[in-house]
Amino acid sequence: MTTKVTVPGKKSLTTTLEISKAIKAYYGGVKAAKAEGKPVIWSYGLIPREIFHAMEAPVLYLEHLPMVLAAKQLSGRYMQVAEEEGLSRDVCAFHRCFAGCAVADERDPYLDNLFVPPDLIVATNLPCMSETKSFLLTADHYDCPYYFMDTPINTWGKEIPDYAIEYFSGQLRGALDFMAEFGYTVDEDKLKEAVRLSKKLVLLWEEIDECRKAVPTPMTSVDGFTACYPLVQLPGTEIGVSIYERLLEELKGKVERKEGVLDDEKLRLLWVGVPPVYNMGLLNYVEKYGAVVVKSTVEYLAGGAYDPAIMDAGRPLESLANKALVDIINPTSQNMVDFIVKSARDFRVDGIIGVVKRTCGLLPGYLRLIKDAVYEQVGVPSTIFDLDGLDIREYDDPSSKANLDSFIETLLASKRR
Amino acid sequence: MGAIDTMRGVFDNPRQIIEDWKGKGKKVVGYRCVYVPEEIIHAAGMLPYPAFGTPEPIKKADSYFQPCACEFVRNIFDLALDGKFSFLDSMVLCNTCDAIRHLHGMWKTYVDSTPCYMLNNPQKMHDESGFKFYRHELDKFKAVMEELSGNKVTDESLQKSITLYNETRRLLKELNELRNREAPPLSGSESLRISMAAMLMPKEDANPLLKQVIEEVKTRDVEDVDGPRVLITGSIIDNPTLIELVEEMGGVVVSDDLCTSTKYYWHEIKPNDDPMDALVRFHMERSVCACTHPSEDRYDYLQELIREFNVEGVIYFNIKYCHPFVYESAIFKNELEEETPLLVLEADHSLSGLGQLKTRVQAFIEML
Repeated sequence: MTTKVTVPGKKSLTTTLEISKAIKAYYGGVKAAKAEGKPVIWSYGLIPREIFHAMEAPVLYLEHLPMVLAAKQLSGRYMQVAEEEGLSRDVCAFHRCFAGCAVADERDPYLDNLFVPPDLIVATNLPCMSETKSFLLTADHYDCPYYFMDTPINTWGKEIPDYAIEYFSGQLRGALDFMAEFGYTVDEDKLKEAVRLSKKLVLLWEEIDECRKAVPTPMTSVDGFTACYPLVQLPGTEIGVSIYERLLEELKGKVERKEGVLDDEKLRLLWVGVPPVYNMGLLNYVEKYGAVVVKSTVEYLAGGAYDPAIMDAGRPLESLANKALVDIINPTSQNMVDFIVKSARDFRVDGIIGVVKRTCGLLPGYLRLIKDAVYEQVGVPSTIFDLDGLDIREYDDPSSKANLDSFIETLLASKRR
Repeated sequence: MGAIDTMRGVFDNPRQIIEDWKGKGKKVVGYRCVYVPEEIIHAAGMLPYPAFGTPEPIKKADSYFQPCACEFVRNIFDLALDGKFSFLDSMVLCNTCDAIRHLHGMWKTYVDSTPCYMLNNPQKMHDESGFKFYRHELDKFKAVMEELSGNKVTDESLQKSITLYNETRRLLKELNELRNREAPPLSGSESLRISMAAMLMPKEDANPLLKQVIEEVKTRDVEDVDGPRVLITGSIIDNPTLIELVEEMGGVVVSDDLCTSTKYYWHEIKPNDDPMDALVRFHMERSVCACTHPSEDRYDYLQELIREFNVEGVIYFNIKYCHPFVYESAIFKNELEEETPLLVLEADHSLSGLGQLKTRVQAFIEML
């Protein structure tokens, strides 16, 4: 039987609480732009957001709105709307939720405050197939123009060849030309500035990560889940940089004072996959064992896990193309696996919790590779279980907790030996 | 034995083809799917071999892929883990869907017997910058095939391969045209078997046989049929069971839009002095798969088939978790239904819930 015992996540940092205000302000800004008659764009996160910020264009991002709704336990309602419209329950929960928001005849007041219909759509096929097609449903519904950018998969690893960068920067240029038809032109200097700020943001995030590697860690992934907002949504902006400067300051203070999330940190865990956004308290649940989720891959949902040296403000589009192609979430698998192995090592984790969102096209093909690679290279064990981080209708609280209990008890027993 | 029986024999036991080919000391390169340019493999003196699945239950692959990954891909991987593809000297995949992308990572890591290559084909069609990118990718692929085979792929050898493969396409299409008759002399399930056999065989052998098959089919005595004319589209069907089911229920499967059939042969490679350029354009000017863009191309192509074959009902078959086609069916549904009755089916690749499908197919055929 499915039980719905959910608890919000416990945040411990002042700066992450501030980020919630920034999120609210962002959606408010999109609403205001629409009211002023500006065309609103719908897009997806792996299209480098710096281009939108450089144009000061109001954009709703497909992966963020469902997360916000899930946090309010509203996402399932809109997934159901999409299902009733004929979208299979087996397609990505993010896309189903967004499509449901788009086609719903009625929206509850909370969503109404965030939702703005699209005037144009900019889509891509990275990181998964759902990107390619799901926006077509909404483009059809709103009868609005749609631009598709082809993103090559990364078959090269960490060094992307020039011809691939040329191709994808051409796709970006095409998107800029498309948006120019709606009055959004990009000033080259602003684009360069966006790339400079984006690089600064990632460098700050790296410093933040360094603080989080401390034992005891000063920050859990519950905070990390909110703290990644600027990395994912605000690269190329001053506000993103200023939030991270404050976050870094706060964390440095905690590290100096040796102030951890837990006084007695017994286990450090890495979360792979989308956590239960409607029940982030599950990440705190492990704390009763002296365990802390120090990091989560969802913090890198759309950017951040790349070498900032590739960002050259003198070549803005090429830099952004390189960033998108080398992103760990770009298939095929090796960059993601290498990144998680490195994270497990750097964050000195004792175990990995991998959760499978049944409808995800990406993670089901990664988890076994991750599990084996992390164990072979770092000696860290993993547990993998089903958990749809967005769809509360599929959530089974006792089963999720039982999986965590048995894994952590095994880790603790192993430590005692 | 007639040519049709011979091809059926190939479909039932493709292993013999491999043994004959390997007996000559030549290599075999597996591939998945129709966006892999077989002509380059052939021009390098190797046999391109389409990796099909089986209806067998999955044994090992589910401990690697999560069960929510496409069952067809899990099936292919299961066969690979079980050594069923160990005769392949290489496996080539291309950028079509999430599951295939991940198959590459899994294969490289866990299948020791056979190296795996990923061809990075763009999914946006008709895009000149994509042509340039894809040319780089094809040049790289050609070099890999040359190294594997030890043979140089020259413009001349490639032109010859293109001519040969175009003839296969032309013959399969000619055979398919016979299904357009008021009383088709070839059933949908027979047609699928022949098409898949032709895909499996060396084309030097397949083409003369196909000519005989066409003659045999043309001269068949055919009884009048009164069932509705049906087209099947959607995810890969590499087993005639579903088509046979439709035919048993009284449907006349006059055409299809499947990668084991019409998608493989509907378009020909256009003549070009530069054969590599011909291949680039061929693969980037035909939107036969739901993974490609723009979708309108696919829709127009489907409508062309519906019109040309006087189709009265469309069955859209989606393998569970085959995201490209699951989305596409939702996108096309309303528009298709305006003109042609449509049945969307979702099932496992192994068709484990055949009883339930039967009820739905029967109701659809009766409704038509």
